[in-house]
Amino acid sequence: MLDHILYAFSDVFAVWNLALMTIGVTAGLIAGAIPGFTIAMAIVLTLPFTFGLSPVEGLATMIGVFVGGLSGGLMSGMLTGIPGTPSSIATTFDGFPLARGGKPGFALGLGVWSSFFGGLISAVLLVTLAPSLAVIGLEFGPWDYFSLVLFALTITASLSGENLMKGMIAGALGLFIGTVGEDEVNGVARFTFGFDDLESGFSFLPVLIGLFAFSQLLSDIQDRVKAREPLMDVSGTDGRVRVEHLAAIRTILSRWTNLVRSSLIGVFTGVLPAAGGSISNILAYDQAKKASKTPEKFGTGIPDGIIAPESSNNATAGGALITMMALGIPGDIVTAVMLGALLIHNVQPSPTFISDNPDLAYAIFIAFFLAHFIMIAMQSVTLKLFLLVTRIPMYVLASVILAYCAIGVFALNNIVYDIWVLFFFGVAGYILRLLGFPLAPIILGVVLGHVAELNLSRALSIDNDLMLFLSRPWSLFFLVVAAFSIAFPWYQKLRGTQSWTLAYVPALLAAVAVPMFMMEGIARPIIGVALLAVSAYLLWRSAKAGWKVAPEGDHEVHLEET
Amino acid sequence: MGRLNRDTLIALVLLVFCGVMFSASFEIEVTNYGTMQSSVWPQVVLVVLTVFSLGLLGQSIVKPRAVEASAEAAPAGLGRFRNALIVYVLFFLFLLTLDLLGMLLGGVGFVFLALTLLGEPSLKRVPLHLLIAVAMVGIMWSIFTFGLGVLLPDGELLQLN
Repeated sequence: MLDHILYAFSDVFAVWNLALMTIGVTAGLIAGAIPGFTIAMAIVLTLPFTFGLSPVEGLATMIGVFVGGLSGGLMSGMLTGIPGTPSSIATTFDGFPLARGGKPGFALGLGVWSSFFGGLISAVLLVTLAPSLAVIGLEFGPWDYFSLVLFALTITASLSGENLMKGMIAGALGLFIGTVGEDEVNGVARFTFGFDDLESGFSFLPVLIGLFAFSQLLSDIQDRVKAREPLMDVSGTDGRVRVEHLAAIRTILSRWTNLVRSSLIGVFTGVLPAAGGSISNILAYDQAKKASKTPEKFGTGIPDGIIAPESSNNATAGGALITMMALGIPGDIVTAVMLGALLIHNVQPSPTFISDNPDLAYAIFIAFFLAHFIMIAMQSVTLKLFLLVTRIPMYVLASVILAYCAIGVFALNNIVYDIWVLFFFGVAGYILRLLGFPLAPIILGVVLGHVAELNLSRALSIDNDLMLFLSRPWSLFFLVVAAFSIAFPWYQKLRGTQSWTLAYVPALLAAVAVPMFMMEGIARPIIGVALLAVSAYLLWRSAKAGWKVAPEGDHEVHLEET
Repeated sequence: MGRLNRDTLIALVLLVFCGVMFSASFEIEVTNYGTMQSSVWPQVVLVVLTVFSLGLLGQSIVKPRAVEASAEAAPAGLGRFRNALIVYVLFFLFLLTLDLLGMLLGGVGFVFLALTLLGEPSLKRVPLHLLIAVAMVGIMWSIFTFGLGVLLPDGELLQLN
């Protein structure tokens, strides 16, 4: 193991790799700071540059963009009141008042260092949990894997917006897009309608860039007047703001319970397929407010209101990487792109990923740690760069990036057909956005469709008994949580108003306990007993209170593009 | 067209799409090898898509308010899509002329025209737009050609490779 770690160290700390990571973090910080320019888009646009790099260099660069992007949103949120990304929305609640109250350097310091500590906590959990989770992943058969994919898709759809049906349709459309072209199992062409080019199907990258970047850019320039204005009004912002590092570190460490709690919320949210920084920052802010002795001060510019969202959104990245590396399932769009990058380099993501590619796995761990140090170093530099970039009008940025999209997509397979695919999905993505369809489930559908089909085929070739999907514990576990995730939007909407919502969590715990009892060993059935006990306690508590409902939380949870 | 009608229309279009694709799925070659035929998975997906589309149709009829699309979707005349249409037309032309102009000239042309048509209609801006187009596409072209070793299409007008 030590030789793998040393090898990974030498790869990550190579001068060229450090330079790439610095560029990646800087680009991420800038992209994260620009409203409308999401982290997912920044990662998508980074991908073409990584074709010519080694897997370690490519992934380290993307991790740099990811970490930078998660931290970049705080700059615009604090200085202008407009969050750069959805993962920094809650940061604005207290960051903006604090900055406007004459302490912009302290506010930025709190944000930057909370991001740093949150990221480090999640990095430690990534290193310790990912290999353990991968060991569990090795128990999965094709039935379990198929059910896991179903769960990933249903939870993405259910968190994608107010209209569950459109989220589900989007997921199914993604699965269908993945069926076009030669199938992996039998090598038979499907839905080609006589076009030879379609036999190779749709490459992941043109679909992704078309659906996400192309359509997003066109949405950004839809308003003719706004498109011609500078990206942001930063006229009242002093570019000479000095980040107050020491004061911020002291303040954060004195509130370590908030830091740890928020980081854990971030990691847990990241581990869930589909849930990302856009959810975790609001959840953490909500919990910090509930736990505070002075909740009324939240929103006026208090440190706890910055520490919670910023530590949690960076911790989400570690959580998402845990799922990606341990199970080969993307936690969000960003990790879906990273999986795409791995596939381009012929690295197959699966539960055996860490044991099959230890050098690469450890390099990812180390790069994730390192990216946070680079982020701290680059934050002050990018503040000035950010103020410069915001003077560019959106139409200039969009026009140049669209040309870059065409070049980047062509570089994937050196065929013009891929640019046509980009164009087609650019139009489709724009129309779907206008019609209120979330795009994240489509992307996950495209990525996971092949995995689902392959595992369904494997499962049926081993045994064509469909009951195995229900009788195998892990498969049943994922199907149970998938079913509950479908009901989640109704639970979330009606929580605090209808009494049945009081039974949602106890029912989920009791249902999840069933597959736990079916599992071998002693530990898991014990967990099953514990889940049943908690379920019974919650029901007893609700019954004792006469099934009275009380409004909970101020913020609904929806997945937005990070 | 009201929001109720729009979602009903979306559901109907999706149902037609499912019908056409389901019919096309019977054209998929049947093999005498493999446990699961190649048409099975697409048909499963299409059945699921059909069920959800029917769900959307029912929702749009029974509870029209619940089916409100996002604020983005509020229609406000075709003028609202002017910029998007300009970009799509330009990108389409860029693709059609790629064999002739190549990535470098075509890219410069696309960016220049996009900037000129999307930006303020002023002659003073034209040289600036041209400069941005040449510089940015030139830099990207150089990075991919010389840095990453990608042979970008050079076109019939300007044979560089």
